[in-house]
Amino acid sequence: MWIDRRFIQNFNWSLLLLMIILISVGVINLYSASQAGTEAKGTPVYLKQILLVGVGFLALMAVLWFDYHLLLSLAYPLLGFSVFLLLTVLFVGKTVSGSQRWLPLGLFSFQPSELAKIALVLALAKYFYTHEKNGRYGFRELALPFGLALLLAGLIMKQPDLGTAVLLLLICFSVFFFVGVAGKTLIVSFSGLAVLMPISWFFLKDYQKKRVLIFLQPETDPLGAGYHILQSKIAVGSGGIWGKGFLKGTQGQLRFLPEHHTDFAFSLLAEEWGFLGALLVVTLFLLLVLWALNIARQSRDRFAMLTAYGIGAVFFWQSVINIGMVVGLVPVVGVPLPFISYGGSSVIVSMIGIGLLLNIHMRRFVIQS
Amino acid sequence: MLEQREPIDFSKQFLITTVVILAAFFALTGRFWYLQILKGDHFKKMAENNRVRVLPVPPARGILFDRNGLMLVNSRPSFNLYVIPDDVQDWDLLKEQLTRLLDMEPDLIERRLAQKKASPFQPLPIKLDITSEELGRLETFKYMMPGVYIEVSPQRNYPLGPVAPHVIGYLGEITPEQLKSGKYPECRLGDYIGQWGLEKEYQKDLGGIKGGRYLEVDARGREVQVLGVQEPTAGNNLVTTLDWDLQKTAQEALQGRAGAVVALDPRSGEVLAMASSPAFDPSTFTRKLTAKDWQTLLSDPLKPFQNRAIQGQYPPGSTYKMVVALAALEEGLVTPETTFYCNGTFLFGNRRFSCWRKGGHGSVNLHKAIVQSCDVYFYNVGLRLGVDRLARYAQYFGLGQPTGVALTSEKGGLIPTSLWKLKRYKAPWHPGETVSLSIGQGYNLVTPLQMAVLTAALANGGKVYRPYLVKKLFSPQGRILKEFSPVQLRSLPVKAEHLYLIRKAMAGVVNEPGGTGYACRLWGITAAGKTGTAQVVGLGKKGGRDHAWFVAFAPLEDPKLAVAVLVEHGGHGGDAAAPIARKLFQAYFHLIPRGSGTGASSTEETPSGEENQTPPTPSVRPEEYRVD
Repeated sequence: MWIDRRFIQNFNWSLLLLMIILISVGVINLYSASQAGTEAKGTPVYLKQILLVGVGFLALMAVLWFDYHLLLSLAYPLLGFSVFLLLTVLFVGKTVSGSQRWLPLGLFSFQPSELAKIALVLALAKYFYTHEKNGRYGFRELALPFGLALLLAGLIMKQPDLGTAVLLLLICFSVFFFVGVAGKTLIVSFSGLAVLMPISWFFLKDYQKKRVLIFLQPETDPLGAGYHILQSKIAVGSGGIWGKGFLKGTQGQLRFLPEHHTDFAFSLLAEEWGFLGALLVVTLFLLLVLWALNIARQSRDRFAMLTAYGIGAVFFWQSVINIGMVVGLVPVVGVPLPFISYGGSSVIVSMIGIGLLLNIHMRRFVIQS
Repeated sequence: MLEQREPIDFSKQFLITTVVILAAFFALTGRFWYLQILKGDHFKKMAENNRVRVLPVPPARGILFDRNGLMLVNSRPSFNLYVIPDDVQDWDLLKEQLTRLLDMEPDLIERRLAQKKASPFQPLPIKLDITSEELGRLETFKYMMPGVYIEVSPQRNYPLGPVAPHVIGYLGEITPEQLKSGKYPECRLGDYIGQWGLEKEYQKDLGGIKGGRYLEVDARGREVQVLGVQEPTAGNNLVTTLDWDLQKTAQEALQGRAGAVVALDPRSGEVLAMASSPAFDPSTFTRKLTAKDWQTLLSDPLKPFQNRAIQGQYPPGSTYKMVVALAALEEGLVTPETTFYCNGTFLFGNRRFSCWRKGGHGSVNLHKAIVQSCDVYFYNVGLRLGVDRLARYAQYFGLGQPTGVALTSEKGGLIPTSLWKLKRYKAPWHPGETVSLSIGQGYNLVTPLQMAVLTAALANGGKVYRPYLVKKLFSPQGRILKEFSPVQLRSLPVKAEHLYLIRKAMAGVVNEPGGTGYACRLWGITAAGKTGTAQVVGLGKKGGRDHAWFVAFAPLEDPKLAVAVLVEHGGHGGDAAAPIARKLFQAYFHLIPRGSGTGASSTEETPSGEENQTPPTPSVRPEEYRVD
């Protein structure tokens, strides 16, 4: 392997640093969350997270090593592999709190739906790279990529994991927006959606319907499904400007917050570190997304641009949905906050995403040999 | 190679995206500002007043039924005392108060309270299943003791008394090791889980899912109101294969003796009864068991916790003769007509093996050998078979390995082979050892359950079933979740007519005058069986009587019940064990006991049917022995 001097010169150290700061904030917050856990279940989550971050770093390095153009040939097989894994998980997956999302892999379980995010981004990037067009796309060109996104989302929906399924569709729409959709197509789709929405309501599981309803009126059910939202809002709100201090969040420590180390990790953070802490983390995510966008802008070719844009979309939607959920702006759908929520698959896949961004960025001036 | 193309202009998209991103993050920041700064004080107050406590509501544990729907185990309410550490104001005072109000060792109270560091908001179990007196006292003084909560939870109850305690097992507090193992993710310290028997094997099904009770408490931690209850999900119910009537008969028959009884349905391998004696009362486990009680139970030399039906290993004695006879027939070494002469002793080399009947049996064929349990016949046959051929037939019946019944710690017994002896003792097999082996003594070890499976296989025409204890699982709503069907492990590779000969001889044991199992004969139904006496080696003279065996099935023509009875130090099989089998048959087939006591005087060594007693009216004419 020949390492170009320019790789080092063009390496985006600030993005790497940003990621490391987010990971550190996440681990510190998980330390607090694991103090609340009383079940003696072996290794505390923050230690597991550190271990998984180590694995993530290896994955990140591996992703940096090769020229990203290699992914052009890997994009579709990776998508196929994701579909295969999603099917597998439906049959042999491990069930945790009612959802079959995990593939048991010895020490840890793997969540194929996380991999599906990256696979979808790469497949979309490749598709619109090979179907390059200096104009807007119509039905015919969009049907296939949309169908693929729908297939992935459908399989994930079956687990059932509404959050990730919605996320994949949002990623798909983001990329569509970027490459441009013909006005007529847009109008027809929206009217179609308006018809389909009420129909899809019937396909939601009862608890999912309930969550949407409760989201609209959380006070109606303070101890049932609205409990999470309300308790989370109390946690965030009671943090005030300065926060209650590390390990002192009564809401989180009291375990009013369910999932306080996964989906509601940020709520604990906002409680203990207050408005200032929340603002800092929100800003970090904003910077992360803007950086991704900047990398897309500066990238050398259409594939790189679309990949970077897609990864940016993954981070954007995930952080907005998760934080929005924690403060009661978005229904509780269960999307992890990258680097902050506990979860091996999420951390590793997020780090792979950063690795891809770094890869694209450092090779932006290099002519492929 | 990528071609350089005229780049398409994306600046508009980038601009819009940037605006959307900024707007979204601005909205989030605005929300934080609203919640934390504008409404911060409001939520702070809510958090402080959010003195909601979540107390676990234990689910109703699944109910265990007998095969006919009789409730063997259910649950009754019990009151548990918890303390929520964060609400406690004065620990020393609380300790003093609890010491006064509870009938509990102060040391134990102190130890339980010391666990407060675990988590300030988690209910700490202090005492489970408090008595009604304690409850009354606590309720009176509760208002003075912030942080004290009383929770109701279902507790195990045995409406029909202790039925098959060794099979059903008991609950116990989850141990720290079990908590750490990760096998019980739903459980917390202080939870009761199945620790033995079916309660343990089916913990997952019986356990159910916990709910929670949300209490609002005031600043001093006193309960103000119940905000809501998240209902627990009850555990699934279990229909066992046990027949309560038969089980009770077995338990009562063993009363005061050490031993085991197993009854199987030979058509399926369903365990209809499994009793082990001495037994324990499982209800004592649900209550506070003092350290002293435990010691007493554990140090009992009779080992009441041992399930002798699956863990007791004994030499099979003469009950093994069916295996020897079957092997000899199958290997063509004897025909039903082959006779050996028994003069009371058998010389092998310079060793003298004697028959139990000093005077000898005279000329003995297969039928007579089994009916009168002639040892010399089997010495001869066993020697011709050799240890390894014999072992093969024993293994066909499943001897020498656990039967696979769904209970942990089942023992496998031992069927020696020459190879085994070489490995174990580094010595070659001595043919003289085969001699004692062929009458079921020596290294041979079997469990009562294995002998029941063997008897069932003889009865049903050669099918070896895996015995099982659970018929079906159903949800609290009555939906059937799982039904268990018979599992046939193998078919005996033997001829049907050979099995028939054995069965006929076993019928002779019970029904022919001179048969050793005369004590088990029935009116109305033909039983078939075999007595056995397992020599107890090394016990010397002080009370070291031999173990009594009896295996039997009935009715002869269409077997519906197979039993194995073992009475430790009971002496002779015909004496101690056969009457128990008879009681089981009478209970199961609803026979009226007639002339009870007859035949009980017989011993294996001196067969019953003494002339001074009225021989029983033959229940069947000879031709009825014939089975096809």
